[in-house]
Formats: sequence, structure tokens, C-alpha cells
Amino acid sequence: MNVKVDKTLVASVALHVLVLGWGLVSFSSKAFDLMPEESVPVDVISSDQLARVMAGMKTGQKAPTPLVEKVAEAKPVEDAVGKITEKAPVVTETTPPPAPKVEEKPVEKKPDPPKPVAEAKPKEEPKPVEKKPDPKVDPIAEAIKKEEKKPKPPVQAAKPPEPVKPKPERAFDQSKIAALLDKRDPSRQAVTGDTLNSNAALGLAKGKAADNSATWGALFQAQVERCWKKPYGGIEAQKSEAAFAIKLKRDGTLEGMPVPEGTPATPYLRVYQESALRAIIECQPYNLPAAYFDEWKYFAPVFTERKT
Amino acid sequence: MTDNNGLPEMPFRLSRRQIISGMAALGMVTGSARHALAQGPKRVIIPEGEFAPLPIAIPNFVAGTPADNEVGVGVTQVITNNLKRSGLFAPIDQAAYIEKVINIDAAPQFQNWKTINAQALVTGRMTRQPDGRLKAEFRLWDVNTAQQLAGQQYFTSPEYWRRIAHIISDQIYERLTGEKGYFDSRVVFVDETGPKERRVKRLAMMDQDGANVRYLTRGADLVLTPRFSPSTQEITYMEFGQGDPRVYLFNIETGQREIVGNFPGMSFSPRFSPDGQRVIMSLQQGGNSNLFVMDLRSKSTTRLTDTPAIDTSPSYSPDGSRICFESDRGGKPQIYVMAATGGAAQRISFGEGSYSTPVWSPRGDYIAFTKQGGGQFSIGIMKPDGSGERLLTSGYHNEGPTFAPNGRVLMFFREPGGGGGPSLFTVDISGRNEQKVPTPGFASDPAWSPLLS
Repeated sequence: MNVKVDKTLVASVALHVLVLGWGLVSFSSKAFDLMPEESVPVDVISSDQLARVMAGMKTGQKAPTPLVEKVAEAKPVEDAVGKITEKAPVVTETTPPPAPKVEEKPVEKKPDPPKPVAEAKPKEEPKPVEKKPDPKVDPIAEAIKKEEKKPKPPVQAAKPPEPVKPKPERAFDQSKIAALLDKRDPSRQAVTGDTLNSNAALGLAKGKAADNSATWGALFQAQVERCWKKPYGGIEAQKSEAAFAIKLKRDGTLEGMPVPEGTPATPYLRVYQESALRAIIECQPYNLPAAYFDEWKYFAPVFTERKT
Repeated sequence: MTDNNGLPEMPFRLSRRQIISGMAALGMVTGSARHALAQGPKRVIIPEGEFAPLPIAIPNFVAGTPADNEVGVGVTQVITNNLKRSGLFAPIDQAAYIEKVINIDAAPQFQNWKTINAQALVTGRMTRQPDGRLKAEFRLWDVNTAQQLAGQQYFTSPEYWRRIAHIISDQIYERLTGEKGYFDSRVVFVDETGPKERRVKRLAMMDQDGANVRYLTRGADLVLTPRFSPSTQEITYMEFGQGDPRVYLFNIETGQREIVGNFPGMSFSPRFSPDGQRVIMSLQQGGNSNLFVMDLRSKSTTRLTDTPAIDTSPSYSPDGSRICFESDRGGKPQIYVMAATGGAAQRISFGEGSYSTPVWSPRGDYIAFTKQGGGQFSIGIMKPDGSGERLLTSGYHNEGPTFAPNGRVLMFFREPGGGGGPSLFTVDISGRNEQKVPTPGFASDPAWSPLLS
């Protein structure tokens, strides 16, 4: 009966019990609660669609709240996009000497001389001198000549004398590296304010949603349903669907008869389609937001019993 | 060495390029495909609108000759009443009409009917012919699309003008609901007169709207559970004569009646097969009753069930392949379905309470029943597999459902309790549009005929 108890084993068991016991108490004390949340309908869209939805509008209203990228003391910036500022010339030893003014002169003179033969002669050969030799020439010939001459000047001007360019000598002074750095203040400044707002000034994030049919579609639905006397059709009615293509005018009236999609397969489907057609015709004109006219001028209402 | 390294790399690099270009091409293809899909008009879903009765205008049928004025008005009233009672139409009060007299030979002024929100318009004319017959013409117009949906003319004896009105009603109903009508049909029922202790029960028959009541028996004997033949002008019913109750066959046209079979004990709850050639019924044997079917031509009888229980109220499916019936083999009365040739039966009712008087719809989609439980009698329907049970009406005492020929409407009888007697009601199988059927006295045990035409 002499049982030798291993102290380490006892300690190990005791510690395990302690830890597990603590875990049982502390972890089980609170049930994992899921806060009830309002459900939100979610649609999967492609990045392309997202880009279109998020695109701003050129005609958009100024956002009521200014763009704010950083939370700080409010300091609105007029134009968030960086301005191009004049770059101060950086003078170093290796900088090529300022170009001689002569270089630019011939360029300025170019249009003036009709026939600059040489750089030094532009003013010595005025036009009247040229005209004098043949004053009796009929005006038509003269006009033709003029026409011939006119294109010439630019061609001639394209041949300005090569300016003497001093060949810049590439030298690198390690001690002047700092001078190469652009020490201008950053022209692009973060817009600060109290609350972050990523909306740019023009349009909202949802400004130009490609699909506003949820808005005007619901309006259309509410209006057409008032006239829809849906026929009662027992079991088979649960699978009924009738689609049309309709064109609306700006005043909300039909441009023509709605065009049904496909021919109904059963008598009930025919009746179902007819009832929907009657409803579309009877309920016009439709009062839909004019802003989305481009979208609702041509669309396809689908009357359906199918549960999605 | 470098060559060795370079060579195997070449195909890899090429393939990667190919993959990249391939992916780009794929992207273009799918992109253009998506573009192509987006080409059609935007679809706006209008889901699950409310069922609503169709507003219909039925101006009085024009009289072809001055003498036909009365019948023209009568036909219009019958049609209006039929459509209104169906619950699927909302006839517009004639007082609202802008146009009172319609020229049936020309297209109507649709604007006048659009103004009073009519979606359909019925125009018609009744003309007495030189040979004494009556000519009935009608046209059904769609007001919004300005199209004629239906148009017919009929010739008949002047005394059958009500049937003409029912037939026209069926045409309108069928064209506007997509389902067969049921107005040109009759109902046989048990007419009850006299005080409760000495109630006289006679077999009677009427049009489905309660008109043209005829009495088929004198009322000397008690009659119960009349049933129409689906194909002949015959009725089968149970009558308590001098001895045991027996199943009889009654010819409506000749008035002749005969006992179906000659069985010992009582026979009851008869019903025709869909082809009208056989009668299925219960025969009592000792404390039990079982189902038998008898061929009316050969008079041969076949036993369908053999259980120590009460099997009764059999009803064929419209294709004649199966039978639903009531049985207490599981304790309380429940509904069972089995093959028309007998064999194993499958219980389909599992709700609380007991189920009885099952009737298979002529459309085959539902079985109607009487359900007893919780101190109430209810009329309900379920699918033939027992699913989709739905109670249409409940109360002190509702019993004996019978389907209209199109399976859309049920007729049953109701006793309000207290001193009164039973009367007939109709209800849509959706449970809506409960209507009392006018009868001269108390009435019970209705049975709807098939369409007459």
C-alpha cells in the first residue's frame, strides 16, 4: 500500500484542473449574443458597374458637405488638385549658362520676311521691291504668284541658322546634392475638417448610378398596379409571367402599343398577359421622374407570380 | 550551359504570354457578352399584384324587334348576376353608363367605357326569328386595346333564354379568366320543408343560380346524397323506403327510377365513375361497411375493400384511376386514397379531428372534405397527396361539399343552429366570395352537375 505519489504529476493535474476550471467559468459565463440587425439587400456587381455607379456628374450639384480627407482644424482648400508652380531656377556650378538671346530672335522674325535668304537681310528686302519688276502683270497671275509665294515663308522659316549651343559639360558635385532637391512647399494639400467625407465636390458617391430603375421602377409599379385586375388562376397561376417592351413619351403616355414578349402557352397565361396589357394601357400617363427619362423612355415591365 | 537553361524557359515564357493574352481576350469576350446582355430594355419587375375582380360593363341586350325587349333585359340580368356571383368580375352599375343603347354591329365608342373604368364590355342583341326561334348575339370587347375578344350567335327556343344567358356567361368567363365556366350547369339537392320533427325531404333540381327549381320526388320517402352522372341525365341517390336504405338510379328526363343492385343489408353513399358506367357505393355487412363498385350494364359487382371498419363516401379521381374515401380503420374517420381496383390504401388526412365526405375535384388538383373538430364543422380542401390542407369556411354545421364543373367553386350546405334549417352556399376554392344560393325552402346535400353543353 505504499503508493508513491509523484509531486510533479500532482502539480500538473492540479494546474490543469485550475486552468480548465477557470476557462469553463470565465468562457461560459456569457452567451454569444448576436445583435439583431436590420437586413440590407445586397447585389453583386462588377467593378465596371461600380465605377459607373460611383462616377461623378459634370452637371452634379455641389456636395453639401465639403471634401475632407483628414480630421483637423477646418482649412478648406479651394482646389484640392495640386497647382503647377513656377520652378525657381536652381543655380549650380554645372548649370549651363543662360542661353544667348540671339537664339530666340530668328524665331520671332520668322513670319516677317517673305524670303529671308540670310539672317542679316530681312529688313533690306521689303515686299514692294519684289512687286515692282512686273507691275503690268494681270491681277490673276499676280494672285497665283502670291498663292505660290505664300506657302513658302514657313518652309523658309524652318531653316533658321543653327544657334551656337555651348555644349553643357556634365559635372557632378556631391556636396551640392541638397541644392538639387525641390524645396517648394507641397502644392497638394490634404483637405481638413471635422468629419471625414470622401465625396468630391461634384456629384455624390451614388451620383450617377447607372441604374435608377429602383427609384422610377417602384413608381411605375405603384402606378400600374392600381389598374391591374389580376385574374385569379388557381395552382398554375403561381408560375405566370408576362413581359412587355414599352416606349414612353416624356409626358408619360405610351408611344405605341406595348409589345408582349413571346406568346402565352396556356389560356390562363394569355389571360394573364392580357390583364397586364390592359393595366399598362389604362394607367397611362405615368408620372415618373423626368431626370431619368433616358432610362424609362424604353423599358420592359415584367408582371410575375414567380417568387424570386 | 546558358543554352540549356534558356531553352526550357522559352516555352514557359511563351505560354505565360499566351495565358495573359488569352485572359485578355476572354475578358473582352465576356465584357462584350455582358454588354450585349445589357442591350435589351431594362426590366422592371411588377410582382404579385392583388387579385381583383375585373370591371365589366354589360349594357342591356338590344331588342331585334320591339317584342324582344323583355328577354334582352332578362338575359343581361342573368349574365350580370352570374359574373358577379363568381367573384371574379365587378359588373358596373348600368346607371353609370354614358352610352345606353349600343349598336352591336359597329365597334363601340371605347372612350365612353374607358371613362367609367370598364376594362371589358359585353354587347348583344336578342331577335325573334320568323320561325319562332330566338337568336342571341353577343360580342365581348376589350376596352383598353379596342379589340373584340369573343363573339357568338345562338338559336334556341324562346323558353330556353336563361340557358342562352348561362352559355354566354360561360363564354365571357372562359375568355377573361382562361378557365372553363360553370354557369351552364344544374344542381340537384334535397329540398326540406315542414317542421323539424316531420321534415319532408324531396329531391329537387335547379339551375346553378337557383332558378328553374323542379321537384323530382314526392317526399313520401326520405332521400339523401343525390349525385349527378357525369355523362347521362341520371342521378343516383340513397332512399329510405320500407326496409333498409337503398341506392337508386333516377332518370331526370323520363322520371324512371330503379334500385342499383340487390344486396342484403343497406347500401349507401353512391357515386358515379367519371365515365358514368359504374356506381361505387358502400354496403353494410354486420357492423362494418365496405366499398363495392357495380357495372351498370353488366350488373356485376366487385368488392374493393375488406376491412373490419366503416369505409364509405367513395369518390373517383377525374381520370378514374384512383378513389378517395372515408374510413375509421385508424380509429377516427380519416380520408384515404387507393387505386380504383382496390388494394392498399394510403391515409392522406392527418389533422386534428375527423375528416369525412371527401370529393375529388373535376380538375384533379384538390380533394374537398368536411372536417369535424373543436365543436365545429368546416369545409376544406387538400391536395390528393394530403398536403396543402386549407379550411374554406367553419361554423356550427357545414357539410357535403360538391365541386362546380370547373373545380373552382364549391357548394355545400350550412345549418346555422337554433331553429332554422339548412341552406346552400358557394365558396371559391381560395376561401373567398362566400355566397348564399337562393332556394325555395331549406336545402341540403347539393350535388353539382357537369356542364350541360
